[in-house]
Amino acid sequence: MHTAKQGFRAILLRHETILLFVVLLEWLYFNSVGPRFGSVDNTFDIMRHSVEIGLLALVMTPIILTGGIDLSVGSLLGLCAISFGKFWRDAGMPIPLAAACTIGIGALAGGLNATLITWLRLPPLIVTLGTFSLFRGLAEAITRGADTFTNFPASFLFLGQERWLGIPAQASSFILVSIGIWLLVHRTTFGRSFRAIGFAPEGTRYAGISVERRLAMAYVLAGIIAAVAAIIYTSRLGQAKADAGMGYELFAITAVVLGGTSIFGGIGTVHGTLLGVAAIAVLNNGLVHARQSREVAGMLTGLLLILALTSSIIPKMLASLKTRRQTLATKPIIT
Amino acid sequence: MKTLLQLSAVTKSFGAVRALKGVSFDLHAGEVHALLGENGAGKSTLIKVITGAHQLDGGSIEINGERVARLTPASAHQLGIACIYQQPALFPDLTVAENIGLRLEPMSALRKVNWVTRRQRAKELLKRIGAEILPDAEVRSLSMPEQQLVEIACALGAGARIVIMDEPTASLTHKEQHLLFAVVKDLRASGVGVVYISHRLEEIFQLADRVTVLRDGQSVGTNKVSEINESGMIKLMVGREVSTIYPPSESETGNVVLSLKKLGCASCGVKNISLDVRAGEIVGMAGLVGAGRTELARVLFGIMPADSGEILLNGQLITISTPKEAVAHGIAYVPEDRRRHGVILEMPIAHNMTMAIHDRVFPGAWLRCGAEKQIALDLIRDLAVKAYGPEAPGGSLSGGNQQKVSLARWLATKPKLLILDEPTQGVDVGAKSEIHKIIRRLAKEGLAVLMISSDLPEVLGMSDRIAVMRGGTITAMLPAKTDAHEVMAVALGQTENGAAK
Amino acid sequence: MKKHFREFSVAAALAFVLLGLAIFAPAFFQPQPLLSLLTREAPTLLVACGMAFVIISRQIDISVGSQFAVCSVCVGLLAAKGWSLPLVFIASVSMGAIMGAFNGCLVAGLRLPSIVVTLATMVTWREALRWQRQGEFVNLPDGLQWLGLSQVMGQWTLILAALVLLALLALATKHLSAGRFVYAVGTDAEAARLAGIRPQLTTFSVFVFMGALVGLAAMMNVVQSPQVDPKSGSGLELKVIAAAVVGGVAVSGGRGKLWGVFFGLLLLACISPALTHLHIEAYWEKAIQGAIILLAVVADGLRTRKQRN
Repeated sequence: MHTAKQGFRAILLRHETILLFVVLLEWLYFNSVGPRFGSVDNTFDIMRHSVEIGLLALVMTPIILTGGIDLSVGSLLGLCAISFGKFWRDAGMPIPLAAACTIGIGALAGGLNATLITWLRLPPLIVTLGTFSLFRGLAEAITRGADTFTNFPASFLFLGQERWLGIPAQASSFILVSIGIWLLVHRTTFGRSFRAIGFAPEGTRYAGISVERRLAMAYVLAGIIAAVAAIIYTSRLGQAKADAGMGYELFAITAVVLGGTSIFGGIGTVHGTLLGVAAIAVLNNGLVHARQSREVAGMLTGLLLILALTSSIIPKMLASLKTRRQTLATKPIIT
Repeated sequence: MKTLLQLSAVTKSFGAVRALKGVSFDLHAGEVHALLGENGAGKSTLIKVITGAHQLDGGSIEINGERVARLTPASAHQLGIACIYQQPALFPDLTVAENIGLRLEPMSALRKVNWVTRRQRAKELLKRIGAEILPDAEVRSLSMPEQQLVEIACALGAGARIVIMDEPTASLTHKEQHLLFAVVKDLRASGVGVVYISHRLEEIFQLADRVTVLRDGQSVGTNKVSEINESGMIKLMVGREVSTIYPPSESETGNVVLSLKKLGCASCGVKNISLDVRAGEIVGMAGLVGAGRTELARVLFGIMPADSGEILLNGQLITISTPKEAVAHGIAYVPEDRRRHGVILEMPIAHNMTMAIHDRVFPGAWLRCGAEKQIALDLIRDLAVKAYGPEAPGGSLSGGNQQKVSLARWLATKPKLLILDEPTQGVDVGAKSEIHKIIRRLAKEGLAVLMISSDLPEVLGMSDRIAVMRGGTITAMLPAKTDAHEVMAVALGQTENGAAK
Repeated sequence: MKKHFREFSVAAALAFVLLGLAIFAPAFFQPQPLLSLLTREAPTLLVACGMAFVIISRQIDISVGSQFAVCSVCVGLLAAKGWSLPLVFIASVSMGAIMGAFNGCLVAGLRLPSIVVTLATMVTWREALRWQRQGEFVNLPDGLQWLGLSQVMGQWTLILAALVLLALLALATKHLSAGRFVYAVGTDAEAARLAGIRPQLTTFSVFVFMGALVGLAAMMNVVQSPQVDPKSGSGLELKVIAAAVVGGVAVSGGRGKLWGVFFGLLLLACISPALTHLHIEAYWEKAIQGAIILLAVVADGLRTRKQRN
């Protein structure tokens, strides 16, 4: 029976080690293609560009662990970026207060998702598809599609553009959030409950765990972190526009699935997600260095997601086909 | 007489559980053959084998004299087998006419649907069984018995030669019952073989020609109905000797832990329940499937909150509206459906065992794997769970050991009241007696235990008192040393003279 | 009446909006702009019908916008190469069907969740197209616009074609066994299997059919202008999902009527011009669309909640 345990561990290990290997291969390849790719500056560049998507992927992990999905994170990032600009420029708030209010907006938006999903028991897919449109639409309506917030103070731009302790400033907040989410998922009862819900929502309820509250927590957390990502995004670009974070939900979901989290819930790790983010970030940046257009990166990300999904399911399919064949071979259909 | 169906020495196992241990059964044309047995005796497995939903492990099936090696739902359909399940497999969003049409019309995709003939046929079939159901009604809006009648209409329309009815009258009104009997007699007269499963003995006497009794996955006898009486049948069903294999009751009963006063829940069909359970006492709950026992447990555990009456725990009036509250009050519930509700199969058993005590073992929500492992090891040792360690996923254990894990989860909460729902269903004999010993020991330690079981010897052997439920309420409280016969008679709704209540 | 309550309430809402426009913004009813509006929505109607099938079978397809763009560009390129109209037409429909089949294979064959699969294909097709075209428009040869007819004739042809197709599809959902299979599978795939329907095959076919309808819709859209915009069809998926959900197609599958979807689409289509006419900025359109989707699902959610209790 010990072999079963080791086998299980080996599979877990294998997924993440393979992914690590893939990231390294990517890195080596692009290093040989683009002369500047391996430089420290570029490495920091990759970090800077992957922080927002990384944050969204991190909070997407608990949601997918519960068997749900949140399509609205990218739109919410846009709405929060706009709100932040609005709070700062038009309401005249100091940056810290504006940031706090923005996070409040994110929590509210996450709360809206959570309420509809838990109270009315609506499928997360359709709820977050609705809010995906709603949040982006609000961002566009507030800015009338054209208004851009710029001229942020240098002290704020520091967060997104300068180095702190030798690394890009936003990377430190990313590391903090990563550690926080990792601990939440792997070291607390909340993470345990997320998995349990992903495996068997009813079974979790029968164990006296409040499934609704846990789900609400995951979605509200996603809202809050999307707001944080929006602030970092604004700081990195020095501007906030209504199209901020467009399409980020795809990158986030891809990173999570690529990182070995099962789209059906229950199985997955935060470090896997981080590797998934790294794989996508290196690919995106590397393609630029390999003189490929941005679109190629987007296309490859989509294909990567399909590949990750199929590769996770094909062994299972083959195994069931095999057993079916065997039974068919031993038993004639009807005599 | 032509034999339509012949099963010989059929065996079927699910993992370690042997559901059918060599059952033989035959059905002639133009007869009603009743199948009788306690819950868990293997009736539903047998039906599923006949309808092709389960593949048999051993033995053989002959249909119309020809041996069939692999029966699938589709081929069973072609061979003229139709089954009316207790839970109809209909499309709730579609109309009655369409439900019937989808079953009976050819399966080609590009075919014009003729709604006039569809409706006409539905109307005729429904009329033939005397059901007053509009063909245009949505199935969702029909009551359970009405849905069953639709199923029967489907079977009728398919021209089935072998019709299986799984407790068709369980939820029918008196009038609908008579209609159904007429339909069954009609079917018999036209040469159809009917396998009729029911718990109501009077129906069997009224309808059936022969009766086969199943017990523990074996057929213990096939008799002509004219040659057997009611008590003979009950004797066959109950069978084995009771008292010897169960641990003796040696606990002293203490204070009343749980007291229910006229408790009811309209949405789950439980009404007017009054019951006391004392510390150190095992109250057995007997009754048939659908009598409302599991529903009562769900009400007590807050899954379907009560809407009338009172629940007193240790003399204090409490309300329970979520499982979390129930757990906080010290109520534990080991659910009936172990695989869906009792154990999370993909998770390690250590995680499963601590699921209900997160707040206590993990202060500040912080996982303490060492402490958890220790608790799990203690419980594993205590309950003698056979697993390679606390990390073993629940699904890798046998049924009995899964049940122990489910039980361990609740023992860890140190509850005041333990509700057990079919604690030994689908559990092998060894684990079964171990679980019985554990339950008895818990009672001895002062726990109040409410044990729902459809296994009559288990109820008789384990309980200090027996509550019998029928139709959503408790119809009788019987003392420990009751005769199986009497419990069964009450559960079946029979009075002394054998007539229906 | 009770059975069609949902559809009638959408129709009533539409009537209400139209009435409001008649009172406050009678300019909305000028024949030429109205005709243009309807022509613009004609292709969308077809995609919405396809989406209704997909949702009724308890799936979703958010890649339709990208499929639409790919088909549009294909039509443009082939027409520019000198292919004749019928050939281009066939190519567009088969192109859509192939992309639908790809989704169908992954969803029905490998039993992956449709939302993630179509999210992936959405981005893949879209980015592939951008990469290929780099935002460049495709010029259409003369004689393709308005199918070689005069503008008004062309507009009427497209509107009528869409309406005829809607009627045919509505009839098919009711009177063709394949249409009923879709409902059966969406209601309860397991019961469908027991009744002898093949749920996976049905799902696959629904996706292929969706793709084919998108191809057709793209064709109908391309002929409305002298150039093909490679970005056409962006946001289409949300619009048609909104139309379907507003029109009474239940997201839990198995329920919905195409004429409800028709009214739902018209209702949504009126928003943008209504905003303009009522002097509300058009930037609110997307937000209102999202709010309408949420309102529709919340209304359905409340109803099932009531039924549950």
